[in-house]
Amino acid sequence: MQNGAGCGSLSRRQLLRMIGVTAGNAAMYQAMSSLGFAEDSPYRGPIDLQGAPRNTSVLILGAGLAGMTAAYELRNAGYRVQVLEFNARPGGRNWSLRGGDTYTELGGLTQHCQFDQDLYINPGPWRIPYHHRGILNYCKRLGVPLEAFVQINYNAYLHSSRAFGGKPQRYREIKADYQGQVAELLAKTTRQQALDASVSREDQEKLLASLRDWGALDKTYAYVPGDASSDRRGYKKAPGGGMSARPIPSEPIGLSDLLDSKLWQGIYSGDTFDLQTPLFQPVGGMGRIGDALGRELGPLIRYHARVTDIHQDARGISVQYEDMLSPGSQLTASSDWCLCTIPLSILAQIPMNVGPAMAAAIAAVPYASAVKVGLQFKRRFWEEDDDIYGGITYTDLPITNIGYPSSGYHSAGKGVLLGAYIYGVDAMEFTAMAPPERVQKAVDYGSQIHPQYREEFDNGVAVAWHRSPFAMGCYGMWNSDTRARHYDDLCQIDQRIALAGEHASYLPGWQEGAITSALDAIERLHRRIVAQAGKA
Amino acid sequence: MRALFGGLTLRRLVIALLVAGIVAAAQADDPSFAVMATLSNVSGEDIYNRICQGCHMAHGEGAIGAGRYPKLADDSTLASWRYAALTVLQGRNNMPAFSAPPQLEWDSPTLHLSDAQVADVVNYVRSHFGNNYKERVTADDVAKLPHPAVGAAP
Ligand SMILES: Cc1cc2nc3c(=O)[nH]c(=O)nc-3n(C[C@H](O)[C@H](O)[C@H](O)COP(=O)(O)OP(=O)(O)OC[C@H]3O[C@@H](n4cnc5c(N)ncnc54)[C@H](O)[C@@H]3O)c2cc1C
Ligand code: HEC
Repeated sequence: MQNGAGCGSLSRRQLLRMIGVTAGNAAMYQAMSSLGFAEDSPYRGPIDLQGAPRNTSVLILGAGLAGMTAAYELRNAGYRVQVLEFNARPGGRNWSLRGGDTYTELGGLTQHCQFDQDLYINPGPWRIPYHHRGILNYCKRLGVPLEAFVQINYNAYLHSSRAFGGKPQRYREIKADYQGQVAELLAKTTRQQALDASVSREDQEKLLASLRDWGALDKTYAYVPGDASSDRRGYKKAPGGGMSARPIPSEPIGLSDLLDSKLWQGIYSGDTFDLQTPLFQPVGGMGRIGDALGRELGPLIRYHARVTDIHQDARGISVQYEDMLSPGSQLTASSDWCLCTIPLSILAQIPMNVGPAMAAAIAAVPYASAVKVGLQFKRRFWEEDDDIYGGITYTDLPITNIGYPSSGYHSAGKGVLLGAYIYGVDAMEFTAMAPPERVQKAVDYGSQIHPQYREEFDNGVAVAWHRSPFAMGCYGMWNSDTRARHYDDLCQIDQRIALAGEHASYLPGWQEGAITSALDAIERLHRRIVAQAGKA
Repeated sequence: MRALFGGLTLRRLVIALLVAGIVAAAQADDPSFAVMATLSNVSGEDIYNRICQGCHMAHGEGAIGAGRYPKLADDSTLASWRYAALTVLQGRNNMPAFSAPPQLEWDSPTLHLSDAQVADVVNYVRSHFGNNYKERVTADDVAKLPHPAVGAAP
């Protein structure tokens, strides 16, 4: 945390608020900048919007996490709030597909999810890192129970169709062997005095000791079959009890085979900041968060409302929308202010009279392609046969991931796993297929890793995000060039309109980006509203 | 050939969300487009069916939801081949640029089409789905159009 923890920063915030009330916006902003607050918006505890002028209305477009977070906080602060949402449900991309659900994608193809009761797939977000404090805090406040999401499972597979005869390797073995082989090599180099120029003799001793530990080397600094290496990579025959107790060590893979296989590319899959253990998921599906916010806001959300035009003038906001239940209808909603969280993929096509800078920013962000396939099997063979409980198998096949459920371990009956999580060009190609074909491909590819697929497959659903009627893409793709030219213009309030959502964050493709962008936007909007009310 | 597990390190891939896929191994009997597209003999029809169709639909009919994908069927805007080719090269709004230079690193790998492939696919859509424009666009024609460049005005 940038500003130190907890109450320290809170009291500074209170101080700032006083500066804001007494000396006005600019002075507060100056003070905030000097304290480092006006930079990006890492979550810093529940927002406090004091002094909302009476009878001020904010119209919020979109009931995804950004829109609903904003609606929830603005309502609590005393604003009059209304939310317009295209879908018949809250949550937007925060969504779980369950047995009995129906999903119609762009183009009109409808899928009926035939999973068993209580089984689901998260077609969009599925994991929350421990440091995404904003969304975790809303889960806490809204009573959404969490459970661990298994990111790294040492017993899941790394698979290359071009290495080891296509036979999947356990993550555990690849990681241990790569580390062991590298440690052995570096130890050898050190002992041949090849490092004398860069590492002192004393440090070389320490380095050697650490390499032996880190790489599971033996006394002679070799990575060889034996207790040390098998304790990391697993045994040929694992230790047990009784007459058959004696373990048999396993045989490490050689460095050259490891390098050739390229499977080392999968070792770090739990090392990046966003994927470090522990991660979480809501019990019962990611969609539980959107459900909870939707319940909380109740009638403030108008569903089936397709926004078609956004207009502002000196007096306020006027938004045209179609009630999807009576096609062709044209209704109007008005307000003093507007927070728009419609994804840019869609917003770019909606007439809206903002300045050229914001308009250019809205047009600059195409959306990434992604496809997820959920597969139901007649039994949880990955647990029963393969000892895989949660976690992810990575493969060079277009399906990319097989994600095993991090809940319901050992349940009798059917089980659902994530049979594909595809992006990039492969995702574009899968998007162009009809849903049954996507499912079939996921089964075909997956059976190269789990031959049980053929026998056990039951049914599946496939969501291609560019075909999603309500998002038209997975997440907003920025690059350093477009960031530099457009990001600030996107986030700047344009007269009476502010934008928020995953796309208005440096956390693209994360729910935390949607939430922190919404909090940041309403805080700035609130300041502007309070300042204008002061002038009036 | 793209890196296995997505070349994440250089471009601080968001792929966090998607993490670390090994990308694009093709089975000889079932070439994935990621591999096919590097071949010069991919036809405009292939490109349409395996890529463009994802958004513009099987018969170029487009689609409408909260937003829309424009139809390419009976599309009078296609009378200008330059308009069509520029759209494919540069992209517009949520239509991806299919000719972005590699320095323009998007968060997620996108497809790069050669000028010949752009010409091919433009010819394909201009002669199908009820469109009947006669002139054939060549790679040289496409090469003369402005291509997306880093730092250029959008
Ligand atoms: C495949 C995938 C995997 C992901 N994985 C993760 C993950 O593991 N962890 C994580 O934290 N995040 C993940 N994300 C990202 C996360 O889903 C988003 O960042 C977040 O949900 C975006 O919230 P939002 O409110 O900005 O947008 P949305 O949820 O898209 O909300 C926008 C709302 O606007 C509505 N709308 C659109 N057009 C109109 C219109 N014309 N009129 C009225 N309403 C309209 C939509 O229906 C929608 O409800 C993933 C996303 C995808 C697609
Ligand atoms: C990710 C979705 C997507 C894909 C894939 C895609 N397009 Fe588009 N396309 C769009 C969108 C969105 C627009 C509208 C852009 C705008 O807002 O003006 C568009 C517009 C167009 C137009 C202009 C149509 C008009 O009437 O103005 C042409 C031509 C076109 N696309 C051709 C193609 C071709 C050829 C391909 C394949 C190489 C392709 N598109 C792939 C989304 C897509």
